[in-house]
Amino acid sequence: MKNYHFRIFLISILISILGVLTIYSVRYPSNVWIPFPLYIRQIIWIFLGLISLLFMYRWDARKLWDIAYIIYAITLILLIMVDILGHIRLGAQRWLKILWFNFQPSELAKLTSIIVLARYFSYRSFKDIRSRNLGFIKAIVIPLLIILPFMFLILAQPDLGTSLMLFFIYLSLVYFSGVKRRYIFIFILILIFISPLLWHFLKDYQKERLLVFVNPDKDPLGAGYTMLQSKIAIGSGRLLGKGWLGGTQGQLRFLPEAHTDFIFSSFSEEWGFLGSLVLLWLYYFLIYYGIKISLSVDEQFVRLLGLGIVALFFIQIFINISMTLGMAPVVGLPLIFFSYGGSSILVSFLSVGILMNIHKKR
Amino acid sequence: MSVRKFLIIVGIAFWVLVLRLFHLQLIEGKKLFQLSQANSIRIQKLKGARGRIFDRNGTVLVDNTFSYDLVVYPQQIDNPDDFLKKLSSVLGIPFGDLRLRFQKEIGSSALPKALVKALDKDKAIILEELKFKLPSVAIQTNPKRYYPYGRLASHLLGYLSSIDYWRLNMWQDYGYSSQDTVGFGGIEERYDYYLKPQDGGIQLEVDNRGRIRRILGFKLPSPGKDIYLTIDARIQKIAEEALGDYTGAVVIMEPFTGEIMAMASSPNFSPFDCSYNPSILKNMLSETEAPLINRAISGVYPPGSVFKPVVAVAGLENKRIDKKTTFFCEGSLKIGNRQFGCWEKHGAQNLFWAIVHSCDVFFYKVGLSLGADKLSEYALKFGLGKATYVDLPEEKIGFVPHPLLRKKEKRQSWFEGDTANFSIGQGELLSTPLQIVRMISVFANKGKLVRPYVVKSIGNKDISSKQRKIISLPIEESILNTINQAMEAVVSSPEGTAHILNIDGLSIAGKTGTAQVSKKQPHAWFAGFFPVENPRYSICVLLEHAGSSTNACLVAKKIIERIKEESLL
Repeated sequence: MKNYHFRIFLISILISILGVLTIYSVRYPSNVWIPFPLYIRQIIWIFLGLISLLFMYRWDARKLWDIAYIIYAITLILLIMVDILGHIRLGAQRWLKILWFNFQPSELAKLTSIIVLARYFSYRSFKDIRSRNLGFIKAIVIPLLIILPFMFLILAQPDLGTSLMLFFIYLSLVYFSGVKRRYIFIFILILIFISPLLWHFLKDYQKERLLVFVNPDKDPLGAGYTMLQSKIAIGSGRLLGKGWLGGTQGQLRFLPEAHTDFIFSSFSEEWGFLGSLVLLWLYYFLIYYGIKISLSVDEQFVRLLGLGIVALFFIQIFINISMTLGMAPVVGLPLIFFSYGGSSILVSFLSVGILMNIHKKR
Repeated sequence: MSVRKFLIIVGIAFWVLVLRLFHLQLIEGKKLFQLSQANSIRIQKLKGARGRIFDRNGTVLVDNTFSYDLVVYPQQIDNPDDFLKKLSSVLGIPFGDLRLRFQKEIGSSALPKALVKALDKDKAIILEELKFKLPSVAIQTNPKRYYPYGRLASHLLGYLSSIDYWRLNMWQDYGYSSQDTVGFGGIEERYDYYLKPQDGGIQLEVDNRGRIRRILGFKLPSPGKDIYLTIDARIQKIAEEALGDYTGAVVIMEPFTGEIMAMASSPNFSPFDCSYNPSILKNMLSETEAPLINRAISGVYPPGSVFKPVVAVAGLENKRIDKKTTFFCEGSLKIGNRQFGCWEKHGAQNLFWAIVHSCDVFFYKVGLSLGADKLSEYALKFGLGKATYVDLPEEKIGFVPHPLLRKKEKRQSWFEGDTANFSIGQGELLSTPLQIVRMISVFANKGKLVRPYVVKSIGNKDISSKQRKIISLPIEESILNTINQAMEAVVSSPEGTAHILNIDGLSIAGKTGTAQVSKKQPHAWFAGFFPVENPRYSICVLLEHAGSSTNACLVAKKIIERIKEESLL
């Protein structure tokens, strides 16, 4: 077999280096000296990410089978803590202060959901090879109930994007675990019927964002502003881009969230169509090798774990970039390995560590 | 196979992204590139107003007005000298000055910039009228803080300044940037996240001569959230006036809930000047009196005799003394080979009279029979030596000594004499006035240690229930009653140390304190609550180096009398 685990490692490092360069560029003309500017922080996070990656790589991902529910409980506690501490600080509160840095348990919840659902769908032990022949309740309803607490706690933060992401993880794991297609179809039908009810649970600004998504021209002055700025940034990059440090949309602060959710726009402005193609190509191979690695193992648990991670990567990348290109609602998701944000970096590298370990121990 | 289908989906998705990129960057690229060019896009910032701050009755303490900046669009000026001459005649600013400023600040900048800041309102109006003659200028209105009561509650409110690197470092994850103006001190700092407005702006596309072609984007600024305090502006005013020229602090609190009704610290400062006049701020920061320090929460002082009621509780609870126990005061007590003095020869004293007279010898004996460990335990129990978690920045926690702690940190031994000092609130014990008002409230509210707070609601959202944190101390009511009776006599009895504070028709309980400090006049304390039957206010007065505690009683008297006169009881 080829050395996929080394390639996937290399790709994730390359992408994060491009990310650091972009963060540096976006915040470039800063007139206040600060001891830890964002790009330095990002580098520190990448190093922490690499440490956790190495740890995962040296360990054994199969042991996650044993501690899946413990991880689940820990994540649940962390999310509840965010909720409680968030109430104390009165507002949108996604971070927990651990030692001297901020951590976002909702990022961890993505990985935890994958581990726990992979555990659920692999019957007696991680050695299980065959998928189970489950009924509707066991195949669809119980797994949903497992991740529902996460979804609600994260929705309460409020963070619609991550909450939806958990739902996609759930769907993809149900799909990969070989549940009868009929059940998935029925479930989606039910969802379509109850979605008008779910609409009421959304906050006003989330409704507004979704409405603007359906018809961006409806509100070009308010909520559509970000999307327009993003399109201007990307489009103005043209074939070769404006060059590193040459972007104006991000640096002049026309583009909100230029170093987090909309970092792809900042990158695309400076590196142009060709640069963006290279980045997309890197992401594509990250996913492609991830799938190859997952298919190289037979055990149901490990394979689901790998496929779940790959699906998570794919959905996040696709939704984030679509969003910057004006093809998806502005939901607030980071671009993995690229956006500024410690928790996302840490969890993404941890996930790559799991993939590498799966491949090593196959 | 399900995975193969997935791979196909992935492939399609990436092709969609590539096609969309192709469309945006290569087909629409030229158009979007022109839009992004700095000289065809202009942003005119629209600043939002910070949230206002109100007192508990809706009296506005911090409001907003506007200041006017003259903004110049450099690209629209053909002949700068000619333009500046016209401007100079309108503004009455010498042409030379204007030109220097123009060259320094603006030069050939593409973006509109402020040439003259904080214009007079009249001139702003004249310029607005002359707009058609001077098309390259605009008047930009900026919200500015306005303090209708001047210096009132300055420490509670805080002031505004450009973000410093320390704050930027801490807050950049929360969306702060280096251009932000943020609160320093008080509510402005602690609740900055809520008070902070969202700036808006107009993004314009202009042609190559700088004329506006169309509006690309418009974002309305949105104001920050208003904040309502627990403070009563009338009581705050009374407290500050009574404090006068003394250096010190006054805290008045609702004893059952922890709502701060007034918090005064002297000397104070003008929040307006500190926010908008950097040279005044600089002076304030270097002044020896430290007027920017909120002494009510950031000043630590030995509590002195104000601590005695806590020692009394410890003595009664641990059965070292009862109501009838009598100790004889000869004016001093020999401990080891040192004489520990009392301020007078009191003769035979029981607990009641010892509190009324503030007899040191009695409390030396109680303290020695309890031991330093117990004193330490009770000081902590009554909230000394730890944060009250009041919702204000820069709270100090003071210090509660303990023999083991001293051994560990300083490698020194603890002596009986230290215990004696501890039992009259001297020695290493340090507390803030806020901690003392919270401590004395335990006697007013029958054994509850409350968390003090100053913000009642943010916007329309009442947060009182989240702010209130009340710890019940399991103290028998009879013990508290015994001490409260004595503390009432401190004021009402002609022999009481605070008899000067006796006010007809109002029962006040309290305790004075004269905290010795080396080489300087002692600090004067008064801590108490009123009316005794149904306590509405706890009060703590601290005067730095004011000598006798009588001075603190006089300040307290002024406050309580005026609260009564203005029927705020």
